[in-house]
Amino acid sequence: MAEIISLGNGVEGLFIKNSRFNTTSVSFNFYLPLNDKNVAHNALLPFILTSCSKDYPDFTSLNIKLSKLYGARLDSSCEKYGDCQLLRMRISVIDDKFSLDDDSLVLQASELLLNLIFNPNTENGSFCECDVEREKRKAIEHIRGEIAEKRVYAKNRLIAEMFKGTPYGLPKCGTEEDVAKITGKSLYDAWGNMLKTAFVRVHIVGAVAPPKFFERIKERFENLERSNITNCKICKPAKPTDKVNTVIEKMDLKQGKLVMGFSSDMYGDDDLSVPLMVMCDIFGGGPYSRLFTNVREKMSLCYYCSATSVRYKGLLTVDSGVEKENCDKAEKEILNQLDILKKGEFLDSELESSKKSFCDSLKTYYDSQNSLDLWYALKINNANLYSPEDIIEKINAITKEDVVYAAKGIKLHTVYKLLPKES
Amino acid sequence: MQKEIIQSDIGESYLKAEHSSGLKIYILEKPQYNSCYAIFGTKYGSIDNCFSVNGEETEVPQGIAHFLEHKLFESEDGDAFSKYAKTGAYANAFTSFDKTCYLFSCSNMFYENLDILLNFVQSPYFTKETVQKEQGIIGQEIRMYDDSPAWRVMFNMLFAMYKNHPVRIDIAGTTESISEIDDKLLYKCYNTFYNPSNMFLCVAGNVESEKILKMVEGGIKENNPLEIKRIKPEEPNEILESLVMQKLAVAQPMFCFGYKLDSSKAPTVKDRVCMAILLDVIAGDCSPLYKKLMENGLINDDFSFEHFYGDGYNAVIFEGDSYNPNAVAEEIKAEVTRIKEEGINKKLFAAIRSGLYGNAIRSFNSVENITMQLVDCAMNNTNLFDEIKYLKSVTAEDVLKRLALLENGKTVLSVINPLEE
Repeated sequence: MAEIISLGNGVEGLFIKNSRFNTTSVSFNFYLPLNDKNVAHNALLPFILTSCSKDYPDFTSLNIKLSKLYGARLDSSCEKYGDCQLLRMRISVIDDKFSLDDDSLVLQASELLLNLIFNPNTENGSFCECDVEREKRKAIEHIRGEIAEKRVYAKNRLIAEMFKGTPYGLPKCGTEEDVAKITGKSLYDAWGNMLKTAFVRVHIVGAVAPPKFFERIKERFENLERSNITNCKICKPAKPTDKVNTVIEKMDLKQGKLVMGFSSDMYGDDDLSVPLMVMCDIFGGGPYSRLFTNVREKMSLCYYCSATSVRYKGLLTVDSGVEKENCDKAEKEILNQLDILKKGEFLDSELESSKKSFCDSLKTYYDSQNSLDLWYALKINNANLYSPEDIIEKINAITKEDVVYAAKGIKLHTVYKLLPKES
Repeated sequence: MQKEIIQSDIGESYLKAEHSSGLKIYILEKPQYNSCYAIFGTKYGSIDNCFSVNGEETEVPQGIAHFLEHKLFESEDGDAFSKYAKTGAYANAFTSFDKTCYLFSCSNMFYENLDILLNFVQSPYFTKETVQKEQGIIGQEIRMYDDSPAWRVMFNMLFAMYKNHPVRIDIAGTTESISEIDDKLLYKCYNTFYNPSNMFLCVAGNVESEKILKMVEGGIKENNPLEIKRIKPEEPNEILESLVMQKLAVAQPMFCFGYKLDSSKAPTVKDRVCMAILLDVIAGDCSPLYKKLMENGLINDDFSFEHFYGDGYNAVIFEGDSYNPNAVAEEIKAEVTRIKEEGINKKLFAAIRSGLYGNAIRSFNSVENITMQLVDCAMNNTNLFDEIKYLKSVTAEDVLKRLALLENGKTVLSVINPLEE
């Protein structure tokens, strides 16, 4: 369906044609290696770049422009993608036919995004200090704010413990101390580094691509001396361990959080890791899963208990919110359910339910512009550019033996418990 | 069955029908989509805890509508989730202040899924044992919300804003109140509020309306329509407390700042459109207040606002994180006063109106969004395309008129502060 176009050294364009939406979206995806020196600088870039520019020197003028473009939506994010940092900037706008004054909205919006990325509000090799200070404050508040959402906080703490000392163990936006050190000058250097060394993917999702847009992107990158392009294929899996590391933290809470991290020997691209995906789903995916039907429904221990996998990283996590006194009971039952999968003592109907659920939900990707965009943004280190339909085929071919094989490669690595303080 | 097709000038149309039982049906076809989204719901939420049917008045424990939502997934012939597991659909349900909705989303086997939905919602099955089991699960859900500062800050505000109206009470109730729930009470509530005349079915996606109507024709159990009287205590116009605070495990204070508005009349679509524009004029990301608050470090990207309304309650709420919530509240009040005196900036008004118009067009991208909007139409007896119509026609004067609803003497500030080390 979608075909990659080369736009320069390590720069790729992808037009994902889909005419069912009222909007068109354009996204720039920059992939950089995760390391402690650059993580905070890189993470700040998508946010500062989408807050103002040379043409729109303050966020109010930019927001008014977006409003006038019929509420064009500008999003930015920073996520971990294996051992890389994925910096994403995206704009989406209603199609020209809905404009009440015959404006070329899609062209204007895509040019706007291009200009935000390439013409930021800088002077003499530095970002404007007041913009930097504002974005730094927001980033620090965001990092501090993580503790408010206990489920997310607990899961992040598990990952930090499990991958301590490796790139994946770093917080995705760096630490408060890292952010505090950023200056207008150092951020300017990070921006230059992003443009010159990041692996770049530009996506358009919609009925028609803005005319000559890819050509214009090509020209922008041609003027840069691009080298040392990020190799997104480097991604080390979690190392299995013989001694499970248990970390307990206490906080003023009512409900405890239990998070378990497992390593898998199946990781990397889709061809290698689809069985892990299915196994994880039977274990703790939908309401038909082992964890839902046993830990929640039969034992009545929790409201949620679910498993998720990060395939390219060979990581499987289980998380649940339980009463402190039920924590050990829940942990034991989670491991018991995993053992059942390892022994193959599950029904064919469980595998069928999982396949049906995947096939159903993967087809819905075609109905969401953002899901399609993100789908391809997370298909960088694959030998083949699989579509959701392609993965449906692969899932349908999974057998019970594949699931058992995937389960056998799962090993408990780290247990993190966030428990209420003694009253 | 009575039916009607409603057209628009944005290339969408939907069918509105009413079954002989009184069930309302709304369907918007999206033949170019893979997916379908369906909601079977009832006008019954957490605020309906005191009612009378045929003159007999009943008061039920807090949290029972939500409890009933959980329990309805179990029928005598197995639970709904295991039936959906055979089709691959994603299924869920939610309870809000004024409704309970059962939903599924799928891209295969739509009619089989609809059959499951219609059946399980119409087949209650409660026993002592199953009720007891659910008390453990919901107990954990309540505990989870107790630890959520975002949830607490909102409910603390409602608790301080409303003196008597049940909107002040947590949707799920408390561990104590749900312990009073038994199978008999569940049947009582079910038989009252799950009468088809109090219910709606809303669908959007790759479906055929006529096929759905045929299934509904034979799939809705016969019931005599009931006259339900919802008994609401008298609610004063004034707030109860202007400041409410709690300490929880957060790094920075979180706040919710609300204006209690007149709730004697339900807001019309035009009122809602005007209020959406007004809130953007006051504090949206194009406004001078937003710029000031952001530049002074008083808010971050988590700042947001909403118009919050329903049967007997009406408020506008601003929320976010701030090291100084009190300063944010004072700035909002000052801006409301300023706009009352100076009027609305015409250029700002035009930009905001265009932005909201675009958002309304955009919302038709998602079958989930459309279905939720159809539910809103069913609840309030409104037209899906009226929002777009008013976004084209309302004036700054229309918007300014609604500003009088915001009175600086009827505000509540709710704050969650960090725990002391």
